[in-house]
Amino acid sequence: MVQLFKRVVPGIIVLLFCLVVFPLTLSAAEAGEYIAIRKEGSGNIALVLDKLDANGKKESRFAQSLDTIMHDGLDFTKIFSLISPPLNVKDFSDKKNPVINFGALTSVGAEVYAGGSLTRKSGMINLDMKVYDASGSKLLLSKTYTGREEGLRSIGHAFCADLVELLTGKKSVFGSKIVFISNRTGFKEIYECDFDGFGVEPLTNLKSISMNPALSPDGKHLAFISFAPGRPTLCIKNLADGKIASVSKSGVSIDPGWRSNSEVAATLSLEGNQEIYLVNTDGSLSKRVTNNKSIDISPTFSPDGTKMAFVSSRNGLPQIFIQDIQSGLVKRLTFSGRYNTQPSWSPLGDKIAYTTWEKNGEINIFVINADGSGLMQLTQKSRENKSPSFSPDGEMIVYTSNRQGKEKVYVMSSKGGNERLLLQGDDVQTQPSWSLFR
Amino acid sequence: MKTMKPLLRTLFIPTMLFLGACACCEETVVAPPPPPPPAIVLPGLGDVFYDFDRSELRADAVEQLKTNANWIQANTTHNVIIEGHCDERGTSEYNLALGERRANSAKDYIVNLGVAPTRLKTVSFGEEKPFADGHNEEAWAQNRRAHFVAE
Repeated sequence: MVQLFKRVVPGIIVLLFCLVVFPLTLSAAEAGEYIAIRKEGSGNIALVLDKLDANGKKESRFAQSLDTIMHDGLDFTKIFSLISPPLNVKDFSDKKNPVINFGALTSVGAEVYAGGSLTRKSGMINLDMKVYDASGSKLLLSKTYTGREEGLRSIGHAFCADLVELLTGKKSVFGSKIVFISNRTGFKEIYECDFDGFGVEPLTNLKSISMNPALSPDGKHLAFISFAPGRPTLCIKNLADGKIASVSKSGVSIDPGWRSNSEVAATLSLEGNQEIYLVNTDGSLSKRVTNNKSIDISPTFSPDGTKMAFVSSRNGLPQIFIQDIQSGLVKRLTFSGRYNTQPSWSPLGDKIAYTTWEKNGEINIFVINADGSGLMQLTQKSRENKSPSFSPDGEMIVYTSNRQGKEKVYVMSSKGGNERLLLQGDDVQTQPSWSLFR
Repeated sequence: MKTMKPLLRTLFIPTMLFLGACACCEETVVAPPPPPPPAIVLPGLGDVFYDFDRSELRADAVEQLKTNANWIQANTTHNVIIEGHCDERGTSEYNLALGERRANSAKDYIVNLGVAPTRLKTVSFGEEKPFADGHNEEAWAQNRRAHFVAE
């Protein structure tokens, strides 16, 4: 079991340490009240993240590292406007119990203050964090995070996750993973990295062409397409023991998408025609979903698994359709654009992202409500933008763009904006997919 | 003959320098050469080409497919793999599907000419293995193909 977790979520051991914490002092009513106030005004939360207090040389070094980790982590979410702490933010006249100067905080426009201290005991780091509502000087959170010295990122991100959840009422991206394809070895292999692009690790070494990686919701299995058997074949890798199950029947397999922890859908041409099937994690067939002479590919499911969005050429050029799994009823979703592919259903359930190949040669990412309303264009004038995939909190989208030459992995807000390169390097990066776990 | 040798040498050295310099210049300006063509090109097994986003056979594909069918029937020791390929445009998942349909349309035609379907396998490479490297219609037209490989 431990081995499984090590493979699926490196650093989870450290996270487990972090779970040995003091209970929140915050009452649910207070948090709810705070979130309610936030919803009134849009825009970012003005946050002062104070430097950690620490005594001792090593402690100060760890504190500095944690300052950077927490700052960068919170900045990545684009939920906050991070304000530098004013010089007189703390009154140190009583050295043991420094007092926060809330007047100084409100004068720089801060809504929330977060600060704390770092101590060290026999190789373990203790991070004591306190969060205040700057205007009401009310304590919102007081919590201790514990972990190993090597696990500073996990310690810092555990606090970041709590802070985001406290202030937005929603789970954050901290702890989630992104899988993608890179050609850095000369072959197209699958890699995994943290939500912020940190810690890239290979997941396959098949020395062939791998395509369309997707992690199961619980992170225990990786589905992908491999050309290693000589033709594109659906593979399901058990990340605990490394064993790969494949659909070994004839024909071509295309673009898997998970319906649940036990079922993945993919296009298989078992009976001569390309249809979407549900496949169990051992590679056995569960159910055929589509029955149409045209191309049917790229299944993506509503969070409850009852509906499937997919690409079909049944009306000529490819468009996105939604099929009810139980009844089999199919409804066309997209009517704008002549070539719509690569749908990705938001984990929040309301929206579907997809790409349109436009007349001017650009490929752009759009989102549309699952009922067909609210079409919105997210990218433009930046060449080809492909393979959108929502973050587990539905707030961000990971995708690729060749706007600067080679195709690379980017992230942006799921409402558009804040587009940025996620991964450096000289390789070609394609087909990113964000995990549902975090 | 002896008098020719120094003359040749004097001509040879500048010529080689000149050619070398040209080669250098070319390397800096021109894109790297395309990958070498497949090692064995069997005369009776030619490629057929497709229109943009189509998997239906073009009129010009029919003659080549008849030639291919004749070759397959004459060479009973070989089975044949038909690879479907696409140009780089569009998205890779859709192209993988389109490539399979191209391979299948070629296979169906050859089977109708009397070739045993058990001797033919199809596969799609989508846009993963382009033959021509360019990013223009000339290259794209070459890459939308069914490629025949004898086993």
